[in-house]
Amino acid sequence: MAGVNHETLVVKKPPLGNLLYKYRYFYLMAIPVVVLLLIFFYWPMLGIRFAFSTYKLKHITSGAGPDYSTGFGNFVALFKDKFFIDSFRNTVVLSFWNLVFSTVFTVIVALLINELQHEWAKKFVQTVLYLPHFLSWVVVASIFTLLLSAGADQTGTDLTTVGFVNAIFMKLGFIDHPIAFLTTKETWRPAWYIIQRWKETGWGTIIYLAALSGISPDLYEAAEIDGAGRMKQTWYITLPSLMDTILIVFILNLAKILNVFESVFVLYNELVYSVSDVIQTYTYRKGIQGNDYGYSTAIGLFKSVISLFLVTGADYVAKRIRGYGIV
Amino acid sequence: MKKNLLIRLTGLGLAVVMAAGMSGCGGSGGGTGGGSAATEEYSKPESIKMTFDTCMTFENGLQDVCDEYKNQTGIDLSIEKPDHAKYYEKITLAFASGNPSDVIEMGSTYYPENANNGALWDMTDAWENTTATAKSIIDESYVDALKVDIKDGNGPRLYGFPTVAGNGTITYARKDWFDEATGGNAPKNYDEFIEMLRKFKARGNGAIPITAAGLINSETPYDIYLREFYQDAIPDFYQKEDGSWVDGFTEPAMEGALQRMRDAFAEGLIDGEIVTNNTSTCRDKFNSGLVGAFNYWAGMWCAKLDDSTPDTELVPLPIIEEAGHYIERVPTAMVITNNCSNPVGVFEDLIMYSHDGGAGQLLFTRGVKDKHYTENSDGTATALAYYEDPNTLVEKSFYAPELSITEWQDPIALDPRVESSLQVFRENREFATVPQVSDVISDNLANLNVVKKEVIANVVHGNISVEEGMEKYNNEAGSYVEAILADLNSNG
Repeated sequence: MAGVNHETLVVKKPPLGNLLYKYRYFYLMAIPVVVLLLIFFYWPMLGIRFAFSTYKLKHITSGAGPDYSTGFGNFVALFKDKFFIDSFRNTVVLSFWNLVFSTVFTVIVALLINELQHEWAKKFVQTVLYLPHFLSWVVVASIFTLLLSAGADQTGTDLTTVGFVNAIFMKLGFIDHPIAFLTTKETWRPAWYIIQRWKETGWGTIIYLAALSGISPDLYEAAEIDGAGRMKQTWYITLPSLMDTILIVFILNLAKILNVFESVFVLYNELVYSVSDVIQTYTYRKGIQGNDYGYSTAIGLFKSVISLFLVTGADYVAKRIRGYGIV
Repeated sequence: MKKNLLIRLTGLGLAVVMAAGMSGCGGSGGGTGGGSAATEEYSKPESIKMTFDTCMTFENGLQDVCDEYKNQTGIDLSIEKPDHAKYYEKITLAFASGNPSDVIEMGSTYYPENANNGALWDMTDAWENTTATAKSIIDESYVDALKVDIKDGNGPRLYGFPTVAGNGTITYARKDWFDEATGGNAPKNYDEFIEMLRKFKARGNGAIPITAAGLINSETPYDIYLREFYQDAIPDFYQKEDGSWVDGFTEPAMEGALQRMRDAFAEGLIDGEIVTNNTSTCRDKFNSGLVGAFNYWAGMWCAKLDDSTPDTELVPLPIIEEAGHYIERVPTAMVITNNCSNPVGVFEDLIMYSHDGGAGQLLFTRGVKDKHYTENSDGTATALAYYEDPNTLVEKSFYAPELSITEWQDPIALDPRVESSLQVFRENREFATVPQVSDVISDNLANLNVVKKEVIANVVHGNISVEEGMEKYNNEAGSYVEAILADLNSNG
């Protein structure tokens, strides 16, 4: 009986034309999706070219179109502008700490909710925690401006109009004078982090709770037999099982790190510009109010490039540490 | 054969679509326009697309106004009314997309900028040549206030037409507090004004002597609020009598204003939350009885504030000697964009018609008969309630009646409180001028205004001294100021 000569065994790849024909109906079905993708996701990207031009309203009204002789001029102007540098720094600081707090608090709250034994209690707590997410930032800003107010009397002698938080702190003896949380440089950022967590922590737990429900109960049962308590079960089973989800959410959020606008726009004021002005609020002033589309596109492109580096960088680190990433 | 027919039909279809698309506002109806006569022939628009902010809502019958306009003129009027908070963002995007409406309502901050960018139709000749009734009954000072010099060698030109008078803010006081503090005599000078505020503060229980929606306005005129404190200071560029341009922020008068605001704030006379205030929070504070004096719009707002402030009336205060005058803003403009293919027709049959002192003005001011008002047998009229709110009477369709710029006989009598506040305002006002525009100003103004706001807020809150504030301004805004002044002075 003649054996198979493995050295000469070649798997012949069918010609591309044959493959295309074979799967023609799949490709046909994919055409609408591809076309829509090209139109709505890739076609607008052509606007990137405006970043390398002088393009203002007068270029549109005169029909002249963008002036590409600018080249990298918008980027040079960007990095020479103190306000852009400040806003970039603020964006990175605010977003970085917000991302850290978001990840930590969301995971902790998800774990706590997961520990609730009664289903009705779990649903009630979840609902209460989700609700702030549905409030607009304008409403949230109004609520917290009232709650955190230091009162209308600057001298601090008439405390009638002092906000709830200051009133409580003074009642408990933590402070002698009300603190103007939203108009003091030192307290604005912490206040912003807290407001962010108040609004978004509940909503952020959804994905972790879904992941938690997927952990096999057998693992907890086995750990319990081995004598592991609640804390050890959390530490050795729950958290490791959640790590993949935490990583994915972290990397996805990293891509959005520079997109801070509304929450800052409704809460900042001239006393705290130096610690609160972010790239988006800067762009709003320069781009929308100044009708400078070339300049604002340059800012947008810069932001996208930074985000791309952050995501690919984080993915690379994840691959090095855990062996895999998401990109 | 079939293929040829298909091609022909497609071509015909495309031609129809293109013709429809190009007709826009300018479809030629032939002859002269409906509502008003013009010196020269113009084609009557078939349809007009307008973007407006300060009109009544569709829920309250805006479409009825459009339908009545069609009945009266034969022109289809379609209105786009974006959300108020995002109005100028939408307008900017519409211009950027190259597809703005034919007519847009535009405030004085954005109007000259868009004129300078070549986005607006120059209506100077149309205004000068029109023989419409409006020409003879309009107060021309409001029209002149909108003339802009875009430095193209043609001098000041008209790129927008006033909708109503610019109006401005005056200081209101609670009558009960005011009578108690002053015996009913309005403060004549700064010392008396401050003394009145001190007496307001002495009431305790959270009394806020004076509040405003910020220490400096976000748009021109920047010093419209807190006039009693700004007095002769002008926190903006202005032209001296010798024709040269200067930055009012760097002048000694501004240091004086900063010192006054700082002192009053330290004494607790100015609302401690002034930098986080917006107009609605100020109104809420005033309505809840916490505020003694509040700088807010003259006219209709006097009655509104009065109605929503229980237990007392409002007193509109004349301006104090040192301040000299309140400021009347540059009127809000109705502009015709360069996108409009029949601007003369739109100017005559919409803009002039809406200021005709007759049926047009009545429609654009009071709305539709038997929907927004009813006529009485004696020739007067009575406002009806809003569709959405049976407890509130219709104030206007597009133009506030109390701010009419024509010699118009409004059939509905104005609230006496509205008239009295306007009277005080008009006796004490000076007109603001259209902000200067150029590419250099556009490039630098956003950053410059940030520095101004930071300096004022920090000085007033006592974080830095007046001298340190001026030093900060010179250091951080010096380059912007220098560039703008060089540009302004080079253009004369």
